[in-house]
Amino acid sequence: MAKLTSARLWMMRCVYLGFAACIIFFHLLPLDTVARRWAPPDLLMAMTFAWALRQPDFVPAFLIAVVMLLADLLFQRPPGLVAALVVAGVEYLKNRLSGLSNASFVGEWTAVAIVITGIVAANRLILAIFSVNQAPLVLALFQVILTIAVYPIMAGFTHYILGVRKLVPGDADATGNRL
Amino acid sequence: MAKHRSTRDDFTQPLRRLFLAILILCLAGIFLIWWIDSPRVERFRAEVVDRVVPGMDWLITPVTGIANLVRDFQSYQRLVEQNRELRSELRQMHAWKEAALQLEQENARLLDMNNVRLDPRLTYVTGVVIADSGSPFRQSVLLNVGARDGIVDGWAAIDGIGLVGRISGVGQNTARVILLTDPSSSVPATVQPSSQTILINGDNSVAPVVEFLESPELVRPGDRVITSGDGGVFPSGLLIGQVAKDRNGRLRVRLAADYGRLKFLRVLRHYGIELITDSGSIVNGLDATAPALTTDEEDSDG
Repeated sequence: MAKLTSARLWMMRCVYLGFAACIIFFHLLPLDTVARRWAPPDLLMAMTFAWALRQPDFVPAFLIAVVMLLADLLFQRPPGLVAALVVAGVEYLKNRLSGLSNASFVGEWTAVAIVITGIVAANRLILAIFSVNQAPLVLALFQVILTIAVYPIMAGFTHYILGVRKLVPGDADATGNRL
Repeated sequence: MAKHRSTRDDFTQPLRRLFLAILILCLAGIFLIWWIDSPRVERFRAEVVDRVVPGMDWLITPVTGIANLVRDFQSYQRLVEQNRELRSELRQMHAWKEAALQLEQENARLLDMNNVRLDPRLTYVTGVVIADSGSPFRQSVLLNVGARDGIVDGWAAIDGIGLVGRISGVGQNTARVILLTDPSSSVPATVQPSSQTILINGDNSVAPVVEFLESPELVRPGDRVITSGDGGVFPSGLLIGQVAKDRNGRLRVRLAADYGRLKFLRVLRHYGIELITDSGSIVNGLDATAPALTTDEEDSDG
């Protein structure tokens, strides 16, 4: 990890921030003001997990916290709750999967699926405890399933197109031939 | 799990843990503060939205425009068919127009005869929709008018035909309109022919639910629903929509406003309904125990 040049590190952090801003922007577009029966996947969450599991240094916890808090504020969610849960979930996954750098993708996907489900369940549980009114369960379930479904696409995108890859011991000079 | 880490990581690990714990506690703290003192944090949220979204405006407008262009282009494919529909509709409209003109004249004459004074204070500010809620779980839009234009929390927003929602959260340059379809939206209304008061609650679907209906047998699908003005939040008499029955037999309101194309919204200036607080002085005057009208009662009356 120490092999990464700091220029590339900061550039990739900016790229993450840029993509996050892009996703938030497209969410805010007033294209569809009719209430829908389905919910689109939470791309922001999927992207954060995909990045954090490939190259944790690109997405430090503070950056995730800032992006998620901004999303909370802009998307009319209770501020801070989803942000806290995502930061905790990402850290848990980093710790759990950092050892298995060459583990299969299916294992990673399963772990991410469990964590995403956990985050949404915890979110609903806490909101219920604090008696904040919340979205219908069907919509939330829809979003969880779609987010999990979209995760491989997001992971592939980060892996192959953005070149955010895991550093395996034999592959120490992955420092910026791409991008 | 720490055995894979290098010595550098071992050294910084406790520090990182501590930092992380503080970070998560901070975020949870924000949530708690929001829960305890919601209006203050919501004002902060309006402030943040006010900073961020108008900054994106130069990009939001062209991208929305292009997306709508593509959508319109798709509709060109059935242009011929559409043309035919429009022409037949136009023919009907001509007949309606005649009827409307006659009615308008008649209405003006009747109003004149009865010496009716329409509410002169119901003026409006028109705003452009610049963003939506961004979340599938909330239904709201952001307008480009705010405290600068004198917008006040609670005012009604209509789209020229029917009620769209209520202002909730005002920034300097932006204001958020909670749509009638939002789960937190609840509007007192009247069903027209039977004039029963109901509550219209949004539930994240296209048609909000009718609740607290006294006698459902008096209400038929197709009845008009207008705001009742109860609670003093909205002016009364704004069109909301028509009653409709869904597949489960629940009564809902099919909204008159065109939610598919919310572009310009009118925000009605409304300074509250004057409450009549004293019991009528003439009735008091007739009462044997009260001798005569006192002057201060008359003052409070006016």
